[in-house]
Amino acid sequence: MEREIHIEPVTRVEGHGKITLHLDAKGNVSDARFHVTELRGFEEFCVGRTVWEMPVLTARICGICPVSHILASAKAGDAILAVRVPETGLLLRRLMNLGQLVQSHALSFFYLSAPDLLLGWSSDPAKRNVLGLAEKRGDLVRRGIRLRAFGQETIERLGGKRIHPAWAVPGGVNRPLDRADRDWIASRIPEALDTVRATLDLFKKTFATAEECALLGDFPSLYMGLVASDGRWEHVEGVLRVVDANGKVLVDGLDPARYRDVVAEASETWSYLKFPFYRALGYPQGMYRVGPLGRLNVCDRFGTPESDAELEEYRGRGSGRTGRVFDYHYARLIEILASLEQMQNVLQDERLLSPRVRAEAGINALEGVGVHEAPRGTLIHHYKVDENGVITWANLIVSTGHNNLAMNRSILEIARRTIKNGVFDEGILNQVEGGIRAFDPCLSCSVHAIGRLPLEVQVVGPEGEVRQRLVRD
Amino acid sequence: MDLVIGIGNPLRRDDGIGPRVAGALEGSAFASVCAVQELVPELALRLREARRVLFIDAEVNGPNVRLGLVEDSPSGLGHGFAPRDLVGLSREAFGEVPEAWTLCVPGVDFGYGEGLSDRAASFLPRAIDAAARWLLERT
Repeated sequence: MEREIHIEPVTRVEGHGKITLHLDAKGNVSDARFHVTELRGFEEFCVGRTVWEMPVLTARICGICPVSHILASAKAGDAILAVRVPETGLLLRRLMNLGQLVQSHALSFFYLSAPDLLLGWSSDPAKRNVLGLAEKRGDLVRRGIRLRAFGQETIERLGGKRIHPAWAVPGGVNRPLDRADRDWIASRIPEALDTVRATLDLFKKTFATAEECALLGDFPSLYMGLVASDGRWEHVEGVLRVVDANGKVLVDGLDPARYRDVVAEASETWSYLKFPFYRALGYPQGMYRVGPLGRLNVCDRFGTPESDAELEEYRGRGSGRTGRVFDYHYARLIEILASLEQMQNVLQDERLLSPRVRAEAGINALEGVGVHEAPRGTLIHHYKVDENGVITWANLIVSTGHNNLAMNRSILEIARRTIKNGVFDEGILNQVEGGIRAFDPCLSCSVHAIGRLPLEVQVVGPEGEVRQRLVRD
Repeated sequence: MDLVIGIGNPLRRDDGIGPRVAGALEGSAFASVCAVQELVPELALRLREARRVLFIDAEVNGPNVRLGLVEDSPSGLGHGFAPRDLVGLSREAFGEVPEAWTLCVPGVDFGYGEGLSDRAASFLPRAIDAAARWLLERT
């Protein structure tokens, strides 16, 4: 007879979900499922609105990644207008997305994950948060706060506000950057670089062994992400690349508008989150990962000196392209470093201050795709419109969806390793949650849920009776 | 300089009363005023620059407008921050904590939509008056 353990909701992720661990008669884990339990159906809300409204409308999907939705939506709009965005508009979009990567990765690492990593998986749950971390590592938290604030301020100076800026539009952006704001952003980068360098050093010293790094699962999968035409790390423009677990390139140079050539979507009755998979391998064998780990595993190099050195060291520690879920944290820190270096390059480009930031046109195509690298991974906006630019169909594939199969695999590996003969405690369950948290999933985006519920863990016996129940508020 | 933070989402009816009250104080010579949908750790950077801080927030089915000192113990946070969590974080990370107060304003309707319920709207003048007095009486 089987029994089940439920973890609901998963904490310290955006939105909420539930984990069910199925135990066999001996109390060992036979299956694990990450359920996303709410549906808000944003694609349907988009139908009937105009393409010009879409960046502002879809930005409201999420309070963490509004910038990513705005930029992906604007890119889909570029395709429908069939315009070439002015160079300055592209640079400004690039700068904003780099600021977004910094702030979102800082949030994920310093506020959400560092408490587990530095205080311990089984430390007092009441203290295992950013406030508890501040008591022990005040300097680290202080630096993390300032780093995230820098990313947020960058977004605000570009877009007028830090959350839901109505700034990127089909054809470009709606206002140029002034010199004072450019200089302010540039002046803060040295401190931000110092912060991420120190944090990378701390991370590498703290998690030096293979056992520690395999804690959250280590399994092969494919990886997908944008790369530049020469194979460099890319996040705004570029082409799609898919590699296998050994780094062998399976798909390269794919026009992002043809994403359906490689990505198909499955669904399961037990979750509202779709299960994208690599079409050529089928479901579920076509599991792939996106996000920081995916991007590091698909790119050849960053093209900036410090992050390239870090990438080389990272690949040396992982014996090539790592499949360890834990390395999402490591990759996230490297991407902060790369983002800051690339921000420096963009800020030195004099074209950045040009007032020519937007191309204007009417409807010149009835379909458009915008693919963009959000902090959590590849974000796809695909629209069809009528002759007036009114949306008749929309499909959104968000980063968390791409990672759905891999998140389920991660929690299965953790649960099988830690739960034996039905014995578990809060610390072990927090590790299971940590497997999800490493992906930094945004459930608000993926199915658009908000809110928080108490955490409930149940062990259900063969007759359906609750044998054990843990609740945390 | 004092800091006034209105907390809430104006698209969730009475949840927007904190930003509404804070907005009435904008332009004050005595305070820096901001509105946020929720508290976030970065606000600790603003707290450390403030002499005093007033958090203005809606209270579900509260009996009346209430002004009080922020409790000096964290709530055991998870997904969200309470004022006492932000104050605690500011203390631990930056070592400096302003005198912190909350102004709670009753709300009954937190559904989707703009504008306040009749009950919340009835408390709005009293809440603005209490916030203005807080600013003036303690400067």
